[in-house]
Amino acid sequence: MGKTLLKIENLNATIEGKSILKGINLEIKEGEVHAIMGPNGSGKSTLASVLAGREIFEVTDGHVEFMGKDLLSMAPEERSREGVFLAFQYPIEIPGVSITNFMKAAVSQHREHKGLEPLSPSEFLKLMKEKKELVEIEAKLANRAVNEGFSGGEKKKNEVFQMAMLEPKLAILDETDSGLDIDALRIVANGVNKLKNSENATLVITHYQRLLDYIVPDVVHVLYDGKIVKTGGKELALELEEKGYDWIKKEVQV
Amino acid sequence: MALKNQISKEDFLAVFRDEPINTLLGTNGDNGNGLNFTTIDFPNKTEEEWRHTSINKILQHRFGLGKTVSLDKKTVDLFTIPGLDAYRLVFINGYYNPDLSDEIEKAGKLLVKSSAKVKKEHPEIFNKYYKSTDLGSENFFTTLNTAYATNGSFIYLPDNAVLDKPVHIINFSDGQDSKTISQYRNVFYAGKNSKAQIVNSFHSLTVNYTLTNVATEIIVDENAFLNFNIFQGEGDDAFQMNHTKVFQHRNSNFSSHTITLCGAIVRNDIHIKHLDEGCETNLNGLYLPDREQHFDNHIFVHHAKPHGTSNQIYKGIIDNKASAVFLGKVLVDRDAQKTLAAQSNRNVLLTKYAKVNSKPQLEIYADDVACSHGSTTGQIDKEALFYLQSRGIDRRNAETLLLSAFLSDVIENIQVEPLKILVKLLINKRLKGEKVEGQCSMIEACHGCDPID
Ligand SMILES: Nc1ncnc2c1ncn2[C@@H]1O[C@H](COP(=O)(O)OP(=O)(O)OP(=O)(O)O)[C@@H](O)[C@H]1O
Ligand SMILES: [Mg+2]
Repeated sequence: MGKTLLKIENLNATIEGKSILKGINLEIKEGEVHAIMGPNGSGKSTLASVLAGREIFEVTDGHVEFMGKDLLSMAPEERSREGVFLAFQYPIEIPGVSITNFMKAAVSQHREHKGLEPLSPSEFLKLMKEKKELVEIEAKLANRAVNEGFSGGEKKKNEVFQMAMLEPKLAILDETDSGLDIDALRIVANGVNKLKNSENATLVITHYQRLLDYIVPDVVHVLYDGKIVKTGGKELALELEEKGYDWIKKEVQV
Repeated sequence: MALKNQISKEDFLAVFRDEPINTLLGTNGDNGNGLNFTTIDFPNKTEEEWRHTSINKILQHRFGLGKTVSLDKKTVDLFTIPGLDAYRLVFINGYYNPDLSDEIEKAGKLLVKSSAKVKKEHPEIFNKYYKSTDLGSENFFTTLNTAYATNGSFIYLPDNAVLDKPVHIINFSDGQDSKTISQYRNVFYAGKNSKAQIVNSFHSLTVNYTLTNVATEIIVDENAFLNFNIFQGEGDDAFQMNHTKVFQHRNSNFSSHTITLCGAIVRNDIHIKHLDEGCETNLNGLYLPDREQHFDNHIFVHHAKPHGTSNQIYKGIIDNKASAVFLGKVLVDRDAQKTLAAQSNRNVLLTKYAKVNSKPQLEIYADDVACSHGSTTGQIDKEALFYLQSRGIDRRNAETLLLSAFLSDVIENIQVEPLKILVKLLINKRLKGEKVEGQCSMIEACHGCDPID
């Protein structure tokens, strides 16, 4: 087994005084794929946001270590440069900022952080082209403003494209499959799989087993009411698909 | 009523009465006695037009007439717009500098000169267009300008004339020896089917209290195209009142870009009147007040005839304790059927102390028109900021990306390409908190803008 990438201990978080995460423990090692499932409003996106550094959530207790470093003390941009990537459940539109300029700024700051020379304009364009092909993004999309007027599917592809550009150590995919038709789902999943290797890890948040047919998890967790209440192998996802969450809720209450 | 520390009107005007003035444009050297300043007072806050513009800071100073200062070409070159090949007219403290200027006088009377020269050499042309709009009586400052302006730029395009290069008017103020008032009276006439681009830039040579009072009369004749750019980069203690009045004739096209980057209090008025059918007007503005600066834009578009079009896009980023005003009014007369008018003002406040007063207004008496107006004021979008940061872009860069995106359409609209490139560069530097030397304002006059935070 690989080294530990991410170690979450007793993570508690609130928003506007409301407790959302109530003691999360989770460990992810290099080369692993974890899935988190759970009913609406259980705190899945909150967990993802807290890991990415969204300030509106307040961490009230707990500790997160990422590659041996204290993740929670880092600014969002540092987390990204260290290798954390969040594909947003609802990517927002940024009028006036083209994907090309956006990625140019991001890649250059990532390279600077790693002590690498900046890419030449032609090297950058080559990288863009290569990664666009990986998620089958139309070439002209890159000249448009980030997510502006994109269809749901295009937004999700754009997230995976950005992930491909930045090659994170830990990719958190928050319902990247929601709202995709089967063809788009296959493309997105293939893109994610191609980026997988023995040194990085993927955390997929999903409601649907069908994604997990493509991105096969090593571990499946169930998040309910701010806690991980069950952890199992990939067969747990099938069981949830079949039986829903009620039996888990009952288990928790007992 | 005089406010605290405010000097009286008599004191303010004394300089014009006491000193002999030889180059008066308006009153043939009669020291303005012909104009009755007893009935026209300082603007004050009870007037709707001045409600949000406090000129108290201006009226604390007793300004004198400045001297003309000798300048070398190298200094002036610092203020040229890189890559802009233009006819240059250079003024300092209200005085014309012929050595640094490129005058034009061509057969058929194409003229690019100082106003005083045109008055002397072509009185028939001068008298026909000078004071031909009603700008002179708009307010205290335009009246003052009409009475005592020392000089200005005069551009006369006969019918069908097309200027091969833009005209760049450079106005310097220098209050090194004393607090100085400079008054410019510009007159532009664009004859039928003529076309020209004009850039008027303002800079300070030193950090001192100065007041620049500009009045520009523009007549755009049938089917003519005139593009007018105002670039304001005076120092941090410089005040400016800048009033433009435009009369448009049938099927004419007037566009303006007002770019206000620096100055203590800057007030711009642009008043447009469509005298005939089918006129088009496009007014653009961007303003970035910082510290305690106050930048104003007042627009009045009067659609008096049918089939007219007007667009206004003004955008501002207000930092620290600075403030801005946008007051845009579109008046559509009963006769002005089929008018298309759009007004938009958008502001971003960077701090909780920054302030903006925005009031787009429509007053419509015709029934078959399409008019719209909108105004938004907000902060940098926190979610957008987080999105960019989550991809590894630091906060400062992310803010720069978002703010330049916010301004991008107004910048892209600038028609004089080298000016557009310069403005883009200056604004990007500004947003990154980098100091800009010798471009925006003058080396000494520029304190450097505070980094945004
Ligand atoms: N910005 C916010 N302001 C207030 N409450 C919020 C905010 N974001 C999330 N919450 C609350 O936090 C709780 C958890 O929400 P979260 O989005 O993490 O759930 P989720 O598991 O991702 O749900 P879904 O499956 O619907 O995406 C919910 O009760 C939600 O209402
Ligand atoms: Mg969610």
